[in-house]
Amino acid sequence: MQDKITRRDFIRIGAGAGLAVTTLPGAPQWLQAAPASPLLAVARNGAPGVLVRKAVEALGGMGQFVKKGQSVLLKPNMGWDRLPEQAANTNPEAVAEVIKMCFEAGAAQVRVLDRTCNEPRRCYLRSGIEKAAKAAGAEVRHIVESRFEEIQIPGGELVTSWPIYRDAIESDVIINMPIAKHHSISGVTLSFKNLMGLLGGDRGALHNHFMTKIVDINTAVKPALTIIDAWRIMLRNGPTGGSLADVAEKRIILASADRVAADAWAMGLFNIDPATVEYLRHASRRGLGQLDLKRVKIEEINLGV
Amino acid sequence: MITFRRISQLLFLTLFIVLFFQAGFPYASILPADLFLRASPLVAVAVMLAGRVFIATMILGLAILLLTIPFGRFFCGWICPLGTIIDGSDHLIRRKRPPARQRESLRWRSWKFFLLAAVLISAIFSTQFIWFFDPIALLTRTFTTVLYPVFAFALGALFNAAFKLPFLEDTVYSLYDAAQTHALLPIQQPRFFETGLIVAIFALILGLGMVSRRFWCRNLCPLGALLGIFSRYRLTRRYVSEACTSCSLCQRACKMNAIEDDYTVNNTVECIECAECVSVCKPHAVSYRFGRNPGKNEIDLSRRRLLQASAAGLAGLALFKTAAVSRIQKGHAIRPPGALVEEQFLDRCIRCQECVKICSTTGSCLQPSLTESGAEGLWSPVSIPRVGYCEYSCNLCGQVCPTGAIQPLALPDKQKTKMGMAYFDKSRCIPWYKQEDCLVCEEHCPLPEKAILFDVHEARGPDGTLRTVKFPYVNEDRCIGCGICENKCPVVGAPGIFVTAAKETRLSAPVAMRGAASAG
Repeated sequence: MQDKITRRDFIRIGAGAGLAVTTLPGAPQWLQAAPASPLLAVARNGAPGVLVRKAVEALGGMGQFVKKGQSVLLKPNMGWDRLPEQAANTNPEAVAEVIKMCFEAGAAQVRVLDRTCNEPRRCYLRSGIEKAAKAAGAEVRHIVESRFEEIQIPGGELVTSWPIYRDAIESDVIINMPIAKHHSISGVTLSFKNLMGLLGGDRGALHNHFMTKIVDINTAVKPALTIIDAWRIMLRNGPTGGSLADVAEKRIILASADRVAADAWAMGLFNIDPATVEYLRHASRRGLGQLDLKRVKIEEINLGV
Repeated sequence: MITFRRISQLLFLTLFIVLFFQAGFPYASILPADLFLRASPLVAVAVMLAGRVFIATMILGLAILLLTIPFGRFFCGWICPLGTIIDGSDHLIRRKRPPARQRESLRWRSWKFFLLAAVLISAIFSTQFIWFFDPIALLTRTFTTVLYPVFAFALGALFNAAFKLPFLEDTVYSLYDAAQTHALLPIQQPRFFETGLIVAIFALILGLGMVSRRFWCRNLCPLGALLGIFSRYRLTRRYVSEACTSCSLCQRACKMNAIEDDYTVNNTVECIECAECVSVCKPHAVSYRFGRNPGKNEIDLSRRRLLQASAAGLAGLALFKTAAVSRIQKGHAIRPPGALVEEQFLDRCIRCQECVKICSTTGSCLQPSLTESGAEGLWSPVSIPRVGYCEYSCNLCGQVCPTGAIQPLALPDKQKTKMGMAYFDKSRCIPWYKQEDCLVCEEHCPLPEKAILFDVHEARGPDGTLRTVKFPYVNEDRCIGCGICENKCPVVGAPGIFVTAAKETRLSAPVAMRGAASAG
């Protein structure tokens, strides 16, 4: 019992310290990535493509994240052999629109990929993302084992090195684009877990002490922009789903440079208090973003009547 | 005519290879991927005899058998892809010049009839053994388990080497990806357990070309024997005109050694219509015409030898039939979804590995069985979940099974068909043995209502602390034994959850003939 109290104390102190450190000049770069008062855009009640555009525009437009001539790695969730309406993979229309915005901002290249859970060709094809992304001009690539590189994770508490896909290391900009789904590991799977699709190795081994390990991974891979597809969300039997009865049409897409804030807000769609989610507490303590939504500037865009 | 024949051989071999690659996801072949297997008359006859059933998909094989009566063994000379490969390999491994002016030995050629007799007798006794000998099944098996994995490995290695070229990396990646997207290259390297025997048989068939050309076709192929019997009364004849100078060139050129010492006479049982004799004849004395053949057309078999062969075949089969299979082995013989009940399944399955090939492009669970279904079930398809798993939304294996051993299932039916059931090994499953959450199996379970559920309660860990742990268990009614849980289980070595064939759904023929179920 002594052990547990100590850990809780540590988290409490750590969270405060983390916040303090982010505001200090000379703090490590990965800590500086999270401003104290981030902006979160929530767009509602429109077609997926329209909503994602409105949300990114509310953050100042794609030009804030993608500069002329840069290479972009866009990581949707297309890990499952499921159809778009089953809400196991990111909405293909929204993915296509993000690709268009990247090119409008002057991106030289947009690459879309995922290390899938089901057979890759099935996932790419049946998610509808391969077709939509290619039509929008992106390169959609299958994962090639020889392109994983073992990288050091200096901020890792349990995971100190892991094989990560080369595009995630070499791309100028990473855009993380998960779909909001039920998952028994943390109630909901969002942007933090979506980055697992860039990892090599035996990912099953990460599921033990997952809450710490997933944050370790997130200190190594730093998306400039996180877009959460909550157009359809999966309420039960995730992350695979399959039954349309488990899908709710929320018609919401949110975007933020702060992944903790984005995940925290999306937890609310599942009636989960983000402050109770262990990985978000770890992430906040370690300065990856703002967990307290009262400190987040939320831009609401409602296109509906 | 010889040019036409070569073109025909090349076209059919190309078609065979193209259809082989068509057997993959997404499966959208204009012609069925198993077309050549369906066209084998021997498979048609043996499987229908053994299974006591008419199989609509095999009607092409019966058609070729009937066409052999007027047109002779055109299948062997003009179509059979194994024959074409043997021609090619003979060309490579043999001296270019025909052998000396003496007829090659005829001593082995009755063997193929003995094999045919053994196979058909056993089929009459309701045991199908043709899978070992049918040339099309044999070739498809070799392609799937040997040639294709080697090809994929070699091409993959080439791409991986090219990745290291500094400026071409993007180009190489895009080519690599195109090859994968269009199913030329598999995404995962196909890997099969011990394929030594399959390699050895194929190497032997090609290597026997050192003894004589088309050694397999002349002496061993029971399909050739069957077609030979039917071609005795053919309506095409080899005609030799007065211009013949008895130079023996045609006899020496004949791949099948079918021309008698009187060069005007040929053996219609052995002749495969290849027309080598027509092209080689300098005075142009040889031609093919319509009409009854005056040539030699008896099969030189003694009744005694035939009976001996049949008895030997039956004795051999009895050995296979009586080989021991433990219940542990049987429990691991997880059959593909849509498989018939075991006895009917083994009567129909010709071990062609077409299902294994198409599975290797999706979940990769199917492997040619070695021990799981005993000696009798050698090379029949079984799911090995620690290697691959059955994709929930895939029903392709049944769509490419030429004999209906695996019935084609509509996707909603397939998704309810139990291949087996999963069990937890609580001494190895992480939450059960060390009281820590894991849930990888539950995460991957593809059923809309998950078949793996959690019992959440407090437990004391190895260090004595109390913690809340999600303990997984299997819902028997929901589990379909797809094996993704066993496949993804992160425990090193033997998994914490494993599938056995318990509670499997097996179909009984002929409830649904092929074509009744729609493709999914």
